[in-house]
Amino acid sequence: MSYFLLKEPPRREHRLNACIASGGTLSDMKNRKMRCCVPDGERTFTQNNICLLLPALGMMNSIPNSVVLMHGAVGCGSSSHGGNVGVRAGNNHRWGVIKDGTWLSTALNESDVICGGEEKLEAAIREIDEHYKPMIIFVVAGCVPGIIGDDVDGVAQRIQSEVSANILPVHCEGFKTKIWATAYDAVYHAIGRVMLQDTSKNIALKKPEKPTVNLMNVSSMGRVDEVELERLLRALGLEVNIFPVFSKPEKMYAMTHADLSISTCPTHDDYLLKHLQEKYGIPFVLKHMPIGIGNTSEWLRNVAAFFQLENQVEKIIAEEEAELETALQEFKEFFRGKKVFVSAGEFRALATAILLAELGFEVVAVRSFHHDEFADSEYEKLSKITAKDFPLNIANCQPFEEANLIRRVKPDLFLGHMNGNSTAAKLGIATNVIYNVGLQFIGYQGAYQLARRLYRQLTNPGFNQNISKWVQLPYSEDWYQQDPFAHIKQSEGEV
Amino acid sequence: MKHFIERPRFTCALGGAIATVTALPRAVHILHAPPGCAGNTAWTQMGGCGLQVGGYCGGISIPGTNVQEREVVFGGSDRLEEQIQNTLKVMDADLYVVLTSCVAEIIGDDVDSVIAPFQNDETQIISAETGGFKGNSYLGYEIVLESILKNYVTRGEATVKGRVNLWGIAPSFDVFWRGNLEGLRQLLSRLGLEVNTFFTVDDHLDGIRQASSAQLNIVVSDVLGWQAAEISQELHGIPYLVSPLPIGPSASDLFLRRVGEALSLREALIEEVITTENQRYYKLLEPLTDCYNDMDLQRYAAVVGDSNYATAITAFLENDFGWLPQVIVITDTLIEEQQERIINRLSSLKSGRIPKIIFKGDSTDIAKCIKDHWEGSKTQYGKYVNALSPAFVVGSSLDRPLAQELGAAHLSISFPVSNRAVIDRGYTGYQGGLRLIEDLISAIIVNR
Repeated sequence: MSYFLLKEPPRREHRLNACIASGGTLSDMKNRKMRCCVPDGERTFTQNNICLLLPALGMMNSIPNSVVLMHGAVGCGSSSHGGNVGVRAGNNHRWGVIKDGTWLSTALNESDVICGGEEKLEAAIREIDEHYKPMIIFVVAGCVPGIIGDDVDGVAQRIQSEVSANILPVHCEGFKTKIWATAYDAVYHAIGRVMLQDTSKNIALKKPEKPTVNLMNVSSMGRVDEVELERLLRALGLEVNIFPVFSKPEKMYAMTHADLSISTCPTHDDYLLKHLQEKYGIPFVLKHMPIGIGNTSEWLRNVAAFFQLENQVEKIIAEEEAELETALQEFKEFFRGKKVFVSAGEFRALATAILLAELGFEVVAVRSFHHDEFADSEYEKLSKITAKDFPLNIANCQPFEEANLIRRVKPDLFLGHMNGNSTAAKLGIATNVIYNVGLQFIGYQGAYQLARRLYRQLTNPGFNQNISKWVQLPYSEDWYQQDPFAHIKQSEGEV
Repeated sequence: MKHFIERPRFTCALGGAIATVTALPRAVHILHAPPGCAGNTAWTQMGGCGLQVGGYCGGISIPGTNVQEREVVFGGSDRLEEQIQNTLKVMDADLYVVLTSCVAEIIGDDVDSVIAPFQNDETQIISAETGGFKGNSYLGYEIVLESILKNYVTRGEATVKGRVNLWGIAPSFDVFWRGNLEGLRQLLSRLGLEVNTFFTVDDHLDGIRQASSAQLNIVVSDVLGWQAAEISQELHGIPYLVSPLPIGPSASDLFLRRVGEALSLREALIEEVITTENQRYYKLLEPLTDCYNDMDLQRYAAVVGDSNYATAITAFLENDFGWLPQVIVITDTLIEEQQERIINRLSSLKSGRIPKIIFKGDSTDIAKCIKDHWEGSKTQYGKYVNALSPAFVVGSSLDRPLAQELGAAHLSISFPVSNRAVIDRGYTGYQGGLRLIEDLISAIIVNR
């Protein structure tokens, strides 16, 4: 049975055997599939981080003509104050209008916890429909309704016929999954169930005449990154439609008309792309991120092969790589042999590490937020290009392990996710952020722009060096003497 | 009444508590919470707190149990015990504070019985019930403060003359909290007082532990810190004084006189300080006189902010700066008694004028109320239009579209402040009034 017939998507721990706790080396990973987690108790000490709600909001807050209604306590979703920075910039870059996102909260209080919040939710949806007249109301379930038993789907179903907006229930109960990438499934699930239906309005949408692809973006890409990929795909003569971040609700159904769907991040897209194939017969390419020189070329080749454009693509790749190689010359000698540590979402971390090796850096450690089977080929590539073993840590952030590792491997440069660079920074290491919408990262141009940023940051890492002399990380000296993976419970059979 | 809030200008009690513990010297939290509560607070700070995220231990460095379904079904006490045990080994702190989340409180784990075996002379560990559904981030500040007073501050200390505690300013959710606390410390030190502010970089845990030795507790808020002051009066026998947040000369004059009175300080000393400070303030302001007058820098103002800022800034604009505040919107959630206090405060401006006072937390409602007032105040005779112009909106970064619609200049002061970088800037005291003038005028002349 299709997952999309269920009320909520399965968690990734179950669907993909994804896990978040492992410490070892790259060769451990290459030689065998990782079995890294003891279910529900992977570390004996943990730091709190994000839950699936935060990345889910990154997608939802971007959708034009939609509002996001958080059903939860008043704090759930206040991360949107941070996310709004990207919404404003994203609207500006796409349509030349600086516009805030619209997020709302049912602000459940003590009496709602006791008496249930369904009536409040129902009233709120009706008021919002009338007041904002949006095309979509994302109704997001947080932890509280998940425990007190509010039936968010039931409320949506009951009143859908009485409101004009499409109600999209999205399950983001933080206690239900450790893998925050489940967020993407949660949002896609709702879009798939509601926005891709064969309504008369939808069916009237014309099929494109030219060969057309669905380019699946992610909320960590800025418009600049999309422009780069569009440029390359158009050079192959393809029409490009971009989903789901910042995609207009009325155009979402067009997803079902493409000849091919192309993922820019397998961690992000597998759930929807399999659905588009099963239900609408749209094949897909889901292999790796177009980050780095080799990976960008490989990504293009995969698309071109589908359309039998092998000759054209090789010509484009040869020209692109030659031009980029020449441009990178002025940085490469400076980068050669400098040690780099990378920490991010699995594909992003691996693709970035491979790119850094391409630029001449020595990769000395990699951390991925989680692990699942999709990334196996990327570990192979990384191992091949670095030709050296180094620590590999699967961790949903857990900066205490990172601090311990950094002290051991002593990198010159650290690349971490947003909010994940301060540990390295306070240890005096030059850093560059991996996820900051608007800082170009993807494709050939992204590789070049990253090189420019790294050159600049390595030329004067004074801010971090100075701060490291005067501030301390909050860890005991004793912790630095321990094995960095001392708090990971290995599963049975693990050595 | 509506059943939702649009873009609430605070986060939950847990978020407020997280920020408050981060601000304590050498303190580390242990969140009994699902994954996400710390990250949510970090992203909230990143977007709303003047680019200040975390501190010694903040953001995603905060230890926590990362409660999952298993704990929801079977209880989370064992996991919390394991987490505390290892936190004491991994983290370096002199005070540990266990904070509970919605999930921990609904499942009903008995936190106090889990932490009791860990408490000894070497390990200071306390807890606070800060489930998000209890209320907003301002409440989180209060709950942590109350727990410190009840569970950490020693009892039976001898009173030290001239020592005072200062409360009513919530770390992070008053974006200018560091500077505001520091400004008041400096102001009160002019009277020879030793001020315990708890949350600045110059505070230390020993001082907080001995807070019961203070002669007076000073609460600079009509809303926050009252309960803490009551508790301290009961437990430590310390009387308290309530004042609005003093911004600029008029409010500072009054503040100093009231503190002097409460501590029976020499009246001549107070008046001498007031005179010196006013002389200094106006000497510094003097060179702005040409441009203030020539550039016609007086404005009609709409003030949007939490109860501390809305009243304090309105009073400054009207009493000290000669502007014309028209509509005041108070954005935090207040009970009726607190609303009355605010109304009284705003009804006693020097001019006797009473601005329109609105209690709303919803961003669309706020904009609509202000636009309606602006529209309703307009008179027109043929081509002659008398509108509330030139105008200024002092609010949060969410009020920029409103300012644009009114053709007004704008300054973000109350949470969220996404478009300013704040380190230790503050608006309290005489000096703070000058900072506020700089920021207001700079916003008007940004394209000059």
